[in-house]
Amino acid sequence: MKWITARRRHPLAGYVVVLLALAVFGVGYAALAPNAERAEAQVLAAQSSGPEEGAVDVSEGRDIWNRSCASCHGLNGGGSGNAPDITTAGGAAIDFQVSTGRMPSSNPDAQMPRKYPAFSRSEIDNLIAFYEQEIGKGPAVPVDVPGDAPLREDFESEEAYEKANEEYKAEYDAYIAGADDVEAGMKLYLANCAHCHSWSGAGGGLTGGHWAPELTDATPRQIYEAMVTGPGQMPVFNDLAINPDDKQELIAYVKDLQAEPDAGGPFALNRVGQVAEGLIGWTVGLTLIIACAIWITAKQRAHD
Amino acid sequence: MSTDSQAPKALRGVGNFIDDRFHLAKTGEKNLRKVFPNHWSFMLGEIALYSFIILLVTGVFLTLWFKPSMQEIVYDGPYERLNGVLMSEAYASTLHIDFGVRGGFLVRQIHHWAALIFVASLVVHMLRVFFTGAFRKPREINWLIGVGIFTLAMIEGLFGYSLPDDLPSGMGVRILQGVMLALPLVGTYVSMFLFGGEFPGEDIISRLYMLHILLIPGILLALIAAHFMILWHQKHTQYPGTGRTNKKVVGTPMFPGFAVKAGGFFFFVFAVTVGLSAFVQINPIHLFGPFTPTSITSGLQPDWYMGFMEGSLRIFPNWLDFQIFGYAVPIGVLVPGLVVPGLIFGGLGAWPFIERWITGDHRAHNVADRPRNAPVRTGVGVAGIVFYGLLWLAGSNDILSHTFSISLYWTTYFFRVAVIVGPIIGFIVAKRICLGLQRRDRETLEHGYESGTIQQLPSGEFIEVHKESSADTVHVLESKEEVDRIDAETISSIEAATDANGVEAPAARGLKGRLRAKLAHWYTKDNVSFEGVEAHTGHHLHHGAAEEKEPAQTH
Repeated sequence: MKWITARRRHPLAGYVVVLLALAVFGVGYAALAPNAERAEAQVLAAQSSGPEEGAVDVSEGRDIWNRSCASCHGLNGGGSGNAPDITTAGGAAIDFQVSTGRMPSSNPDAQMPRKYPAFSRSEIDNLIAFYEQEIGKGPAVPVDVPGDAPLREDFESEEAYEKANEEYKAEYDAYIAGADDVEAGMKLYLANCAHCHSWSGAGGGLTGGHWAPELTDATPRQIYEAMVTGPGQMPVFNDLAINPDDKQELIAYVKDLQAEPDAGGPFALNRVGQVAEGLIGWTVGLTLIIACAIWITAKQRAHD
Repeated sequence: MSTDSQAPKALRGVGNFIDDRFHLAKTGEKNLRKVFPNHWSFMLGEIALYSFIILLVTGVFLTLWFKPSMQEIVYDGPYERLNGVLMSEAYASTLHIDFGVRGGFLVRQIHHWAALIFVASLVVHMLRVFFTGAFRKPREINWLIGVGIFTLAMIEGLFGYSLPDDLPSGMGVRILQGVMLALPLVGTYVSMFLFGGEFPGEDIISRLYMLHILLIPGILLALIAAHFMILWHQKHTQYPGTGRTNKKVVGTPMFPGFAVKAGGFFFFVFAVTVGLSAFVQINPIHLFGPFTPTSITSGLQPDWYMGFMEGSLRIFPNWLDFQIFGYAVPIGVLVPGLVVPGLIFGGLGAWPFIERWITGDHRAHNVADRPRNAPVRTGVGVAGIVFYGLLWLAGSNDILSHTFSISLYWTTYFFRVAVIVGPIIGFIVAKRICLGLQRRDRETLEHGYESGTIQQLPSGEFIEVHKESSADTVHVLESKEEVDRIDAETISSIEAATDANGVEAPAARGLKGRLRAKLAHWYTKDNVSFEGVEAHTGHHLHHGAAEEKEPAQTH
């Protein structure tokens, strides 16, 4: 106590208290707030039975539909007051919405952010099989475009997982390398996509409280599906408007740019660009220089 | 060390050689002994000078490889991702600077960071001059030159940003062209003249290049030289303090004290700029890709100093656009693109003359005002900062909207209201704070400062012991000049003032005279008078004495 009493009137005491309070709140929040891993663990815990390998199970798909989709979209997919008719949406839309975690939605009135999917890969496949058999028709899942990377928990052994992972990587690299016309991909992206998703794929604000999501986590298949189904505010770019080869060029451009290292320095400011640069120029650059000016004039002032 | 020690013989020989030919000894001695005030805020302009030097040096380096040509070529070079892409030679040569020239990437980033710091330091330097009233007579001309440097620096930055012909470059030029097209009658001609035809044409890069590396830097250099010569002749202003008067400057002599400091400071500015350039990526043109007229992207802004223009274009409504004889008059571009910057720069340039006209203060001032002692000027300055800052923020409304998950429309609505309400609130708050500080100053002057020691009197009353302020503090506090309050009665007395022949005082005549009287009243009505306040004469035991003695002329 004495130690504190002696120092509590120190000029820096106020700052110390503020810093401590910020640290306590910051660390406390990080410790208590739900984060991605914990949510993942909860989802995994909820999946009591392990996913089955091989053939799709339409009855499980029906189960999921009835439990998680039908309350809004209706038993026949015809929609309701707070959800659209999805009988013509197609398997690609189901795969996009569910595998990006946007569906099932917790708030039908708001745009959903990307999050960890509620269902495993095989459950989603079952759901799509059920949908295509009983609910509706539309663009199919583009199965030859690489989708999600395999997850460790879907595999019994480490070797099986690693093998699947390697296969996936080879497929992914082949798909990206299969695009050989950077200019076509760039022109298509900058003419059709960048005005919402931004040049870097970081996303951006849209009118009416919506936003264009970032493309960093999206798999090539999800980008493809988004183009053919036009989720949310996004227009449809079907295979007649941009043919599958051009789509491959476009997706490869996005993924290449994303994988491109930042040659300008270790701090790339999230590729936000000029706003972040201006902020750093003022808060780091000019502030340091002015601090130096105060420093080199301070000593002299004490003497005169 | 003896005071009359002579310089070493070798130095003396060189000195005599030069002096025999140029007779520099006298001028040299006088100028080397020139005194510079010691306060960090007098170094702000130097930051601008040093970053300008860095810009010149790195800019020369970049011109060795940059090709200002819009000739389209297919890229084939060390940056593999863009191999086979059609692009202008300007963009390809910038890629070459980044990836083909040793140290080129670093130098290009230094050039860009130095540009951001250059304009930022101009702003803070200008704010210092404004808030301390250092623009007053005799320094109005130098202030005008400063406004000119600031304006040119912005344009210089915009043109430099446009040279690499990457995606943001082209978008910036397109906006510039849009503003030009909005000019009534001459818009299309001006645009066709600058671009040598339709946008983008084939000439714009080489023309901007000439402007960016020759014409504007030349004018800037001349203005900076003039700025310094006038400064040298008129000397710095200085803050009030012991021994500092309108006729005497206190500080460090140019040589050796100030020269060492300034030299060291140059290297610090250089170090910060290079440090940023080495570690923080800026304007990654290789990631953006080349500009084509069909390309457009969200999430791109101009460099920060053009942000307020971008913001005013973004938030200005299109309700006022109209057509006349089939010709569109796009007020929604014209006003934010030309009138708003015109107001800001015109206002900056005109302020010294407006203030002099309002206050009628034609004296020369070499001692700086403390911002609190000119509450209306400080309030106006803060209002200007708020106005500029809100426009600047509005320029990044899409980034704000996306980063903080705010609806984009709401950011626009907010800024539309805030750019009008914000400056008014800023003015009122700043002025009130100034007046509060004046009151505290008067109390400190009268009573000394609160020592933190509590005493109990025999009667049981507790008092806080005040101690006498230092002589320097007293001097600073006493520097507040008495402001002649021009109130309603003064105005009416001026208006009624007629000489023996019944002729009105010329100053009060007509619309202009009355306006001036009203403004003078507004400028001077709120002021805490220090009249009759003697240092440390307050009643030491009575804390509330100041309030009792306060003349009732503050409202």
